[in-house]
This record gives sequence, structure tokens and C-alpha cells, in this order.
Amino acid sequence: MILLWLLIVPLAAGPLAFILRRRPAMEAVNLTAFAVVLCLAAALGVQVVQSGPVSLWDGFFYADALSALVVLLSAFIALICSIYAVGYFRQDERDGVFQADGEVIGALGAYKLRKFYSLTPVFVFAMVLVALANNLGMLWVAIEATTLTSVFLVTFYGTKTSLEAAWKYIMIGGVGLSMALFGTFLTYYSAHRIPGTETLAGLNWSVLAVNATQLDKPTMRLAFILILMGYGTKAGLAPMHTWKPDAYGEAPVPAAAIFSSALLNCALYALVRFYILANRCLGADYPGHLLLLFGMLSMGISVPFILVQRNFRRLLAYHTIDHAGIMVTALGVGGPLGALGLTLHMTFHTVAKSLLFLCAGSVYQHFKTDLFHKVKGGVIHVMPLTGTVFLMAILAIIGMPPFSLFQSEFVILRAAMAAGHYVPSVLFVVFSTGIFAGALVHVGGLILAPADAAPVVRWQPWRNLPLLILSAILVVIAFWIPPPLFRLIQGAAVIVASGPVVSAR
Amino acid sequence: MPFIHDPEFGDRMITLMAALVLVLQILAVGQRWLMGNIRIFGLQSFLLAAIAGTIAFFNHANHVYIVALLTLILKAVVLPLILARLVERVGIQKEIEPLINVPLSVLISGCLTMVGYVVAESFYHPEETSGVAALGRNTLAIAIALFLIGFFMLLNRRKALTQVLALLSMENGIFLAGISLTYGVPLVIELGIFFDVFVAVMVLAILVYRIGETFDSMDVSKLRRLRG
Repeated sequence: MILLWLLIVPLAAGPLAFILRRRPAMEAVNLTAFAVVLCLAAALGVQVVQSGPVSLWDGFFYADALSALVVLLSAFIALICSIYAVGYFRQDERDGVFQADGEVIGALGAYKLRKFYSLTPVFVFAMVLVALANNLGMLWVAIEATTLTSVFLVTFYGTKTSLEAAWKYIMIGGVGLSMALFGTFLTYYSAHRIPGTETLAGLNWSVLAVNATQLDKPTMRLAFILILMGYGTKAGLAPMHTWKPDAYGEAPVPAAAIFSSALLNCALYALVRFYILANRCLGADYPGHLLLLFGMLSMGISVPFILVQRNFRRLLAYHTIDHAGIMVTALGVGGPLGALGLTLHMTFHTVAKSLLFLCAGSVYQHFKTDLFHKVKGGVIHVMPLTGTVFLMAILAIIGMPPFSLFQSEFVILRAAMAAGHYVPSVLFVVFSTGIFAGALVHVGGLILAPADAAPVVRWQPWRNLPLLILSAILVVIAFWIPPPLFRLIQGAAVIVASGPVVSAR
Repeated sequence: MPFIHDPEFGDRMITLMAALVLVLQILAVGQRWLMGNIRIFGLQSFLLAAIAGTIAFFNHANHVYIVALLTLILKAVVLPLILARLVERVGIQKEIEPLINVPLSVLISGCLTMVGYVVAESFYHPEETSGVAALGRNTLAIAIALFLIGFFMLLNRRKALTQVLALLSMENGIFLAGISLTYGVPLVIELGIFFDVFVAVMVLAILVYRIGETFDSMDVSKLRRLRG
């Protein structure tokens, strides 16, 4: 039942916001809906940890620890970003961003806000559906739905560049997803010898994973390549990453923060589901080597772009490509340790990257630019709170030791060394160092540059509160992960490493 | 007409129609007019619906009839109409300007068809297919060729709307592969995919319209302000 409510609440909130039209009402609908979804997601997490996978409608919907983790992270980010969005768009309104010349004042803004507040819940619904769909065909439908519902979030401001970004987003995404659909069909075909798979349940992941050893191997090989290219495009792996900096840079910041953390998790989640099938069917080497290749490529490609980057939102986007690479590398290394590294990194990255985007959003709104050289004066002097949090988050995400991302990256590296992947391990360190240097120089300069002006920014409750919540969480998880959450992460890692758990505790 | 119930006859019909689909795809590569391209897409979808109907008839698979009907209504009638209206609304140059000239494009399409055959050969096991009218390996090879040629068309074209058509023809290839391998996926999923494709075309149509309005052109090669 809980699964159904998780889907119904965000799906209903979209049309409801659309009908209500008035801004305070739409804000309230979004906040309430996401708060409810977060509570439900937490309840689902507890239930999965305590009594194993939950399923509904003969396994059409299915949630194990991995799904519960992804749902929890998506719901959390959705709530945080909706709080931030309230302040962000009110500021936009004050700044007159929505007023085109000759337009009735406020009309365009109302139209745009209505679009944002009614599309975002549907977008979140699609992401929750990704995690809860057991049927691999349904998984594809849900992933495609995340693209379709978020295209108009990218074109939110309606500028030329945002149209360009949206076009790239949907075309590159469309080609990628058509490959994924082909891969899904082939996976279904590879199961045609297993009796009882002609029914709807024949495409269920939980059924296929149990029978994975009987899948047709040559078909599965081709299917996995197509799936990796397809969902890899959605996750922004190099060389299919080109839409990512554009879309992240053009979308309004609350949406970009959801893209870079929750949506990335969803794409990786789909990839992980197929990896588990391929791993059990073909052995760890074939999918592992392909994943390592794409992981290294993504990490490597983001290094030069980060080093020469002039725009801080695009810098963060390349950073997300790098982290997608890290997570895919962890998946490629595999084994219990690699899988644990993956699920830990997914959790930590979600917190840190969304925090970074929100900080970047505040800086962007204050200085009215997202180019490094146009920001005059150090952010930490002008906006003390945002500057401090921004600096902390960037240190966390590039892997400075006290923070949790260092731990997860270290786990991944250890797993890679232990599994004998020496070349990827060395490259991993080299690329991480390059990104460390690049990001620190750019963002450090942005934040710590001298400034003559005194602090000018007042306390902005809607925008500062999410920053404070996220940074508190970032600091806490560096030293202590709440035991239920850790058990959820561990449970997810077990599923990644060794397939479905029949009797989970 | 006893020959109608002969599976052999069904086989040949399917192969013939699949071959026609491939011919249409190559025609689309050489087609210079946008409206012509839309008509070719409609005709191709009509043939796919016919293939699905034939498969449903010979294998007594009732859910495939629904799929065939949906393909007929949605892809052969509704989508071409929407796209044709969009062409009128946007009303800018209707000629397609491919990056690679037509003779070479057709030659490349021929090569891609061969690639399709090679790939299909490697994992298709006809002896294990259980259906009455076992689909020849030709159909699968053609499906893969459609997908590849569609991808090539997408890269080869500059106009936003023609890229949408290329994407749709890739989807047609996947559809053909799906019905030729497993008589399609379960109906619920098939419906979900139809819904997604339909919404995707609507979204793309809106985007095309707005790009046409904002840039006074549908040439996506002019969309190059975001770099690095």
C-alpha cells in the first residue's frame, strides 16, 4: 500500500498545483506533497530494512533496499529543493526576471511558476516510479517520463540558450533511451527459453534476476551494451555527456539540483538493475570491463573541462559527470566492497552536489552572473553564510578527508586495488587529483577573493534554511551515519553485489 | 481461400512487408521534401501495423491485434497529421538539407543494412522460436538496419523537424525488432511505450515550434552558443 501512496501523492500534487494557480497555494501544495513523500519514503526504508522487500500487484511494483534508498534520496532532495525554490523564485520575481518588455507585469511570471510547480511533482513521481517499477519495460517508460516531464523545466526561462539546451537534452536523451528500449526488448528475448515468461511477469526484474543464469548469453551481451549506452546517456557518461552541462546550466537552480543528484541516481539505478542481471548471467568480467571503460572515460573527460571552466554552474555539471564516472567505476569493480562504495557514494554525492547547486544558485542570484570572472569580490565576504557553506561543500565533493566522500572514494579505490584493477586505480587517482586542483582553484578563488564591500546579504529564510539543513547533514554523515540508514545502504550494496535477497532481515 | 491460413504464406507476407519497410526507410534517406518524409513515415508505420496484424493472425495472439490497431491509429494517422500541421504552422523552408549528399547517404544506408544482417546473424536462433509463422531472420536484420539508418539520418540532418522524424523511424525499428523477436512485450508495457512516444512527439513539436519562433529558423546547427 505504501508503494501506491508514494506514487499517488506526487502525481496528484502536479494537477492540483496546476488548478490552484495562486503562488502561495502552489508553494504549499509542493511543500506538503514532498514532505509526505519523504515521510512515506522513510517508512518504506524502515519497512524494507526490518522485513525485506515489499511488492504490490503481483510484483508489478517492488521495493528492496536499493529501491528504497533511491526513493529516499529522491524524496529528500525534492523536499529540500522545493523549500529553496520558494525563496529562489520570489527573488526572481523581485529582480524582474520574468518581465518581458510589453508584457503585463506578473502574467508571464505566474505562467512560468505554474509550469514549474505543476511539472516538478510529476517529475518526482516519474523518479519514484523508476525506483519502484519491477517490470523492466515499465522502468524504461518511467525513465523516458523523467525526460519528458523535465524538458520544460530546462526551458523555464525561455531564453535562446535554454531552448538549445532543451533540444540537446531531449534529442540526445531520446537516442540514448531508444537504445535502452532496444536493450530491454533484447533482455526480454533472452529470457524466452525460460518457461512462464510470456506473461507480464516475464519482464519483472525479480523474476529475471532469479533465473539470470538461464538467460541467452549472446543476446544478453548485446543487450547490456545497448543498455549501458542508453541509460549511460541518461546518467551523462562520456562520450554521451554533452547535454549535461547545457541542461544543468540553463535550468533554474532548484531543478538543476534535482537533476544533478536525484535524476542521476535514477539513471544509475536503472543501469545497476541490468548490471545485476548481466553479472549473474555473463560473469563479472564482461559488464565490469565495459563499466570501467565508461567510468574512466567520464572521469578523464571532465578533467580538462573543469580546469578551463569559466562558468561555475557548468563546472558543477562537469563535476557531476566525474561523479557519475566514479560511481560507474565502483559498479565495474564490483564485489561486496565495490558495491558498498557505490551505494555510499550515491548517498554522499546526493547530499553534497545538491548543496553545491543551491549555493551556486544563491551566488548567481546575488551577482546576476554565473561566470567566475564577473563575480566581483569574494563570496565569503559578501555573503558570509553561503560562502562558508559553498567552500565546505566544494571541499567535501572533491574528496577532502574529514568529509564522507573521501571515505566512499577510498572504499572504491581499495576495492579496485584488491580486485587487481591497477590501471584504473592509478587513473582514478590521477583524474581525482586533476579535478581536486581545478575545482579548488576556481571555486576557492570565487569564494575567498578579497572584497572591499561589507557583508550585504540579509538572512534569507527560504534559501538559507535548506543550505543549513544540507550542510548539517554533510557534517554529521562525515562522522556518523544513522544506523537504520547505514543498514539500508548496506542492504542496497548486498543486492548490487549478489542479486536479489530472498530473506532479507 | 485456403492459402490464407498457410503459415508459409504468412511468412512470405511478413518478409515482403518488412522488405518494403526497409525500402521506404532508404527512400526517406534520399527524400528532399519534408512533407514527403512525413508521408513516408506514415506509410512505414502502416506497414508495421500490417506486419503486427499478420503476426497476430497466424499466432492467434490477441494482444498483438491491439498493438497493431494502436500503431495504425497513432503512428500511421495521428502523428503524421500532427507533424504535417506543425510544418504548416512553422511555415519555413520545407526542403531538407542533409550534410552528406544523397547518393553517398544511400550508399551508407546500404552498408548499414549489411551491418544489420551481420548483427542479426550472431544471436538469432530460429530453431527455438515457437510461433507458427516463425519470422525469418530477415525481419530482425531489417529491424536493426532501420534502427541504424534512423540513427544515421538523425546525424545527417540539420532541421529540427527532420531530426524528430529520424528519431521516430528509429523507434519504428525497435518496434519491428520487438514484434519479430517476442511478438512484442506484454500489452501494459506496450501501452506505456505508446503513451511515452506520443507525449514525446507532442513535447518535441512544442520545442520545434518555439525554436522556429525564437531563432526564425529550424536549423539546429545554429544552436551552438553553449560550449565548453
